[in-house]
Amino acid sequence: MESQAIAFNAELLRRYDRPGPRYTSYPTAPQFHAGFGARELRAVASASNGDPIPRRLSLYVHVPFCASPCFYCGCNRIITRDTARGEAYLARLYREIALTAPLFDRDREVIQLHFGGGTPNFLSPAQLREVVDTLRSHFHFSDADERDLSIELDPRFVSPADIAELAAAGFNRASFGVQDFDPEVQVAVNRIQSVEETRAVVDACRGNGFRSVNIDLIYGLPKQTREGFARTLDIVTGMRPDRVAVYGYAHLPELFKPQKQIVGADLPDAETRLALLQLAIERLTAAGYCYIGMDHFALPDDELALAQARGGLHRNFMGYTTHADSDLVGLGVSAISHVGDSFSQNPRDLPSWQAALDEGRLPVFRGMRLDEDDQLRADLIQQLMCQGEIPMAALERRYGIDFAAYFADALAKLQPLAEDGLVRIEADRITVTSRGRMLLRNIAMCFDRYLDQPVTDARPRFSRAI
Amino acid sequence: MGVLSNVPFPRQSPQTLADDGDSLRFCSTCAFSQACMDEGMDKGALMDLHVLVEHIGPFHAGDHLFREGEPFEAIAAVRAGTVKTYVVDRDGHEHVLGFHLPGEVIGLNAIDGETYPCNAVALDTVMLCRFSFPKIAVLATRLPGLQRQLFRLLSRDIGRAALLAGDWSADQRMAAFLVGLSRRLAARGFSATRFQLTMARTDIANYLRLAPETVSRVLRRFQEEGRLVVDRRELELLDTAALEALAAPVLRA
Repeated sequence: MESQAIAFNAELLRRYDRPGPRYTSYPTAPQFHAGFGARELRAVASASNGDPIPRRLSLYVHVPFCASPCFYCGCNRIITRDTARGEAYLARLYREIALTAPLFDRDREVIQLHFGGGTPNFLSPAQLREVVDTLRSHFHFSDADERDLSIELDPRFVSPADIAELAAAGFNRASFGVQDFDPEVQVAVNRIQSVEETRAVVDACRGNGFRSVNIDLIYGLPKQTREGFARTLDIVTGMRPDRVAVYGYAHLPELFKPQKQIVGADLPDAETRLALLQLAIERLTAAGYCYIGMDHFALPDDELALAQARGGLHRNFMGYTTHADSDLVGLGVSAISHVGDSFSQNPRDLPSWQAALDEGRLPVFRGMRLDEDDQLRADLIQQLMCQGEIPMAALERRYGIDFAAYFADALAKLQPLAEDGLVRIEADRITVTSRGRMLLRNIAMCFDRYLDQPVTDARPRFSRAI
Repeated sequence: MGVLSNVPFPRQSPQTLADDGDSLRFCSTCAFSQACMDEGMDKGALMDLHVLVEHIGPFHAGDHLFREGEPFEAIAAVRAGTVKTYVVDRDGHEHVLGFHLPGEVIGLNAIDGETYPCNAVALDTVMLCRFSFPKIAVLATRLPGLQRQLFRLLSRDIGRAALLAGDWSADQRMAAFLVGLSRRLAARGFSATRFQLTMARTDIANYLRLAPETVSRVLRRFQEEGRLVVDRRELELLDTAALEALAAPVLRA
């Protein structure tokens, strides 16, 4: 990217605010199909073992349960306070681990393990430790310093003592959901959490040697005001998390049922939404955070910022990562895997996932193999999202194409964006400008072959850009 | 041939595809075309002699081209893709004999007997050119150039098998393997420095008599030393001179 600067231009953002994928994968999940199942996953895993240097592994474990429903949530989760459901879930999860681990050669090291949800800390620290230990007995965990063991935590249900237990189990990164500290907003989204309890667990992470702490914020929530969000931003930057993510709330109640409980009239209007985003960028930048891309900010000495500076930043279903080129193995209901040139996904509903495991089957219900065109576009979008540039000459060489001819349609779509100053087209590369940095997904959409295909499903599938 | 190419194997350049032969012209990758042309025999002349040359395929990854014990009647030249030849010992262990690239001939070790002494399997999409061995042998008695070419192919096949019999280090074996592939591909008009390893890690390990983990460890070290870059199956040689030096004792050149 041309600089760490990020230019905020309300008129531009308004004009480009339209639905689009977040590109945690390309092709995106709607392209997955039922023709890719367990047999296909076995085949791609076997082929990936055949690479001269097989890639290292990243593991993702999905914990679908939440004790309490947050109304803004668009995740796949199950609301319950019945801890027995956690036990039953773990029994199936261990079966899935036992079925999946043998697909990968033993010398392939696990370099990253991430727990997401739902609420991973719906499970007790002892249960989480048991999951980690089970994974360690089936996979070969790297001893390297860079090995990440990360977890998303709900500060309302985790104590400083729990953090110490998690550290003892090997966890070294945590991500806390905060969204907004404004009490009125917290009531409107059904998520009441105090500054004190959040600060206590963030401090506990530091005290127990966690390498990094992330805090998630959301703008565009009901009842949100500039004054309230400004206070939240000041409190959060005061806690000095290594990373901050600021997501835009996507109100799609037809798609995400919990959102029906949000009163539409309470939502900030488009102008306020933009003002909230601007506020976040200004406060975080003033507090010394670098903009990484999409919704992510990091302190300059954080590994993400350092990786971006040396061109080693990557993006996968878990967001931005410093771990290049690993095969991603998703475990648990709805989890997505990315092995070799394939994507695959587990059933999104608990009964189907359980049924597959109870029958001793790998619980894959859909996926796809990337053809050469998909791989080229995935590579291009990855470079765009992570490094803020499209290295045309390098891609021509790598894929044996004439960029201008191959991407004639895409370049035509990109032309108005270039005229608006979002990108600069140079001889050997296309560079995202400071004006374009907030609109990475609009730029990426020009190169998405599948967006031109007719949508058979009338419901909106993607959230808006801003 | 001999022209420096940027096309990484197994991708075909448009020229190669256009030059894929027909009823009258030889394919650009044909192992025998030069020998025949030197003798003044074009494809039409061969047809007049009833030496039928048959294009077969495509075969897909995992398809067997022939199996040990099947009656031997034809030699085949690879037109596209990679073929692995192997035998299975009495204990059920596989032994990889070699990898055959475009322009190379498979089945030469069958000449001695009436049946194929090994298995041949396609590692990716393979096209073959098949011709009757008895007929080409008869033809060779009339065309000294063709006979020389046949002997050359035979001795190359034997020589290659002998290469790895020596007491070489893992680094030397790996370097010799890569330099050998690079030279063979370059001779067929592919890039000498960028190519895909179409064979699996276990096949490379088996062929080089190394553990699969050792194959990866040596390549990872070569990569750290800046000699090459590996991305999945794609390989780029950066410091060919260093690899050649390492391989020299094995390749004796």
